[in-house]
Amino acid sequence: MKLSTYNFLTSMAIKGVKVGYPLKLTITKQNVVESEFNPVFIEKLLPKLDWAALYGAAQVAECAEDIPPAQPDNIADNEALLQKLHHLLFEIDVLEGQLECPETGRVFPITDGIPNMLLNEDEV
Amino acid sequence: IILSDKHVSFSDVCTHCSGIFIPHSVSMQHVEQKVNKAKKADKKQRRCLAIIKSDCNVCASDVPTLYLAVLNVGLSNGLTEETLLATAANTGGQVSQVLMLPSKSYCFLVCASLKDAELVYRGMHNLATIGQQGAVAYLSYVTQLPKETEESGWQKQLPSGLILLPNFISVEEEAVLLNAVGDGDAGAVRTEDTLKHRHVKHFGYEFLYGSNNVDPMQPLLEQPIPSACDFLWPRLDNTELPKILTPDQLTVNAYEPGQGIPPHVDTHSAFVGPILSLSLQSDVVMDFRRNNELVHVLLPRRSLLIMSGESRYDWTHGIKPKHIDVLATASGSLTTQARSKRTSLTFRRLRRGPCDCQFPTLCDTRQTAVPQALTEALATHASNLEQQNVHEVYDKIADHFSDTRHTPWPQVADFLNSFDASSVVLDVGCGNGKYLGCNPQLLSIGCDRSMGLLGVSNGRGQSVFRCDCLQLPVRSASMDGCISIAVIHHLASTERRLAAIREMARVLRPGGRALIYVWAKDQRKNDRKSAYLRQNKAVNKERTTEQAQRQKLAQQLEGIELEQQQQMQVPLPVHTNRTEFQQQDVYVPWKTKDEQRTTFLRYYHVFEEQELEQLVSQLPEVVLLRSYYDQGNHCVIFERK
Repeated sequence: MKLSTYNFLTSMAIKGVKVGYPLKLTITKQNVVESEFNPVFIEKLLPKLDWAALYGAAQVAECAEDIPPAQPDNIADNEALLQKLHHLLFEIDVLEGQLECPETGRVFPITDGIPNMLLNEDEV
Repeated sequence: IILSDKHVSFSDVCTHCSGIFIPHSVSMQHVEQKVNKAKKADKKQRRCLAIIKSDCNVCASDVPTLYLAVLNVGLSNGLTEETLLATAANTGGQVSQVLMLPSKSYCFLVCASLKDAELVYRGMHNLATIGQQGAVAYLSYVTQLPKETEESGWQKQLPSGLILLPNFISVEEEAVLLNAVGDGDAGAVRTEDTLKHRHVKHFGYEFLYGSNNVDPMQPLLEQPIPSACDFLWPRLDNTELPKILTPDQLTVNAYEPGQGIPPHVDTHSAFVGPILSLSLQSDVVMDFRRNNELVHVLLPRRSLLIMSGESRYDWTHGIKPKHIDVLATASGSLTTQARSKRTSLTFRRLRRGPCDCQFPTLCDTRQTAVPQALTEALATHASNLEQQNVHEVYDKIADHFSDTRHTPWPQVADFLNSFDASSVVLDVGCGNGKYLGCNPQLLSIGCDRSMGLLGVSNGRGQSVFRCDCLQLPVRSASMDGCISIAVIHHLASTERRLAAIREMARVLRPGGRALIYVWAKDQRKNDRKSAYLRQNKAVNKERTTEQAQRQKLAQQLEGIELEQQQQMQVPLPVHTNRTEFQQQDVYVPWKTKDEQRTTFLRYYHVFEEQELEQLVSQLPEVVLLRSYYDQGNHCVIFERK
């Protein structure tokens, strides 16, 4: 699971859960996969992402010192930060770990890089 | 195994040097070659005998018998029954039965007597080059015929309800009728993509080959059944015949030698029974089939065939495209007869309502009716049905399924390319992820239920997660785009199909757009077959018909193991692949490619026209931008308000 995917996932489908976001991320095994850096792509993508969740993921992935807690202005001019965001969002691949619902504690395992968000019928 | 006739004598005719003077030494060399050839034949023959022993448990006989195995040549390498019979006839031996086995390189003959068998053996073994590229036949006596094979289609009773009246008309009357319906090509109706193999002409009503039906509202006022046919009807007013109403539709078929008509049943709801067929100009052999049963019927020139009852409703009939027919003689042996041009007049009477026959297998009325109880069972068991007949099946067939899904459909690719760079697009039911890399300018994320398929796409470096399309674990209003290709037709109730669309609408941001593809019940548009139907080569080349394929599948399903029968939690009909859908809620079989050839049943709800649009219109938060039909799929694009 790339951390760009993580940014969109919620547990709001669980019965009684109001927001279910951000999910609590635990990484037990991760990989780094190099990919081509496109600063314009990252810059245009940022408005679609939730910065707080992105910042939280950076802390878990131990890239926290690279990423500021709030989104800085004029980020288009800051290619070094865009490069770090690219690394965080597209190069770190979570192979094993889990996502946890912040409201119910329901755990969604990540196995072989695939988060299992499937709910049982009695949970929805 | 002891073989007679394997000794080569000097008197044998050498095919290489006959008629040319050859020095003695060279001739000896040829004799050696002949001995080698005989040895080679022995070896080859032993190998062939081992094959028939293992295929059908048939053993060679040391002594002559009535049964001959013809080895190394068969249907798989181009041998026809006619060629085999003609070759056997040249030996002077009488053959009483031929057994050609589909896709086998051997076949069997039954001879009238031991003397006949010996004549055929001597005349053909290692001599008859009747296979493709001159493959030679090796013969061997065998102790019996293979069991569980089709019996001869000749020594059989006619199907119930089938009546053949020879010499129904005179030669003079034949000429009058031919003149009245206008033989030759002039005025012959030809329809694109249907009738490659014969000329047809309709009177009274046009028979529409696309729907296999007639339109009762569109009589051919300019072309009624010619009055020259009227003399036929009083002859049918006979208490020994079933009651026959005067026909109001006539189809004239003109067959050149080599042309035929694939096995079919006349659409039940289109015509009442009986159906009448008058043969003019030539004899022909018509084959009647029901499941494993096959009955050949010789239709003599100037005879009338009456198909009533079971023979009209529960048997298919067809004519093989051949130049030469194989016929039974009065003594019970087989012979061949060349065909000449034949014209058939098929007289029918429109039904104008649903069929009320007692034979459901081939009945379009029965097969398309949906009992209320079934609809209720679907709604009650929707979730279990999806679990067993969708999710579990996809997990089992994931690899094979993935191998068959690689090319993106162009209009889906167009939709993905319509987004600005850096747009986020969710593929709901991404399968093997073939659309996730389609436009590399997007952030594409996929989800699916099947771990097997997710493993394939994840292995290709795509971003995927597992979920059900009824509960997308994605924040609301976060997506610029959404696609769901061939997914929601697997949901077993209207409520669930609507809920899946509602979930897609929820994750779209205002102005975000979604594209949905579902399988259409109607696999034709403007008389064009979908890609799915075009794959049915046997039907498209008129070797068979959808009806005959359905009949075959119905029979296969009867033999299916109990374990698989239990797959049918809700008793839905099983669809015959690459044919038109007869119902909306069906099981579609998926046959694995491995040796077991296991059949899995996938549940599908195929959509009627406007059904998908109707679902979208129930969501006030979206607006329909476009709907279209693409290769057998109904498609919609909608936008979040």
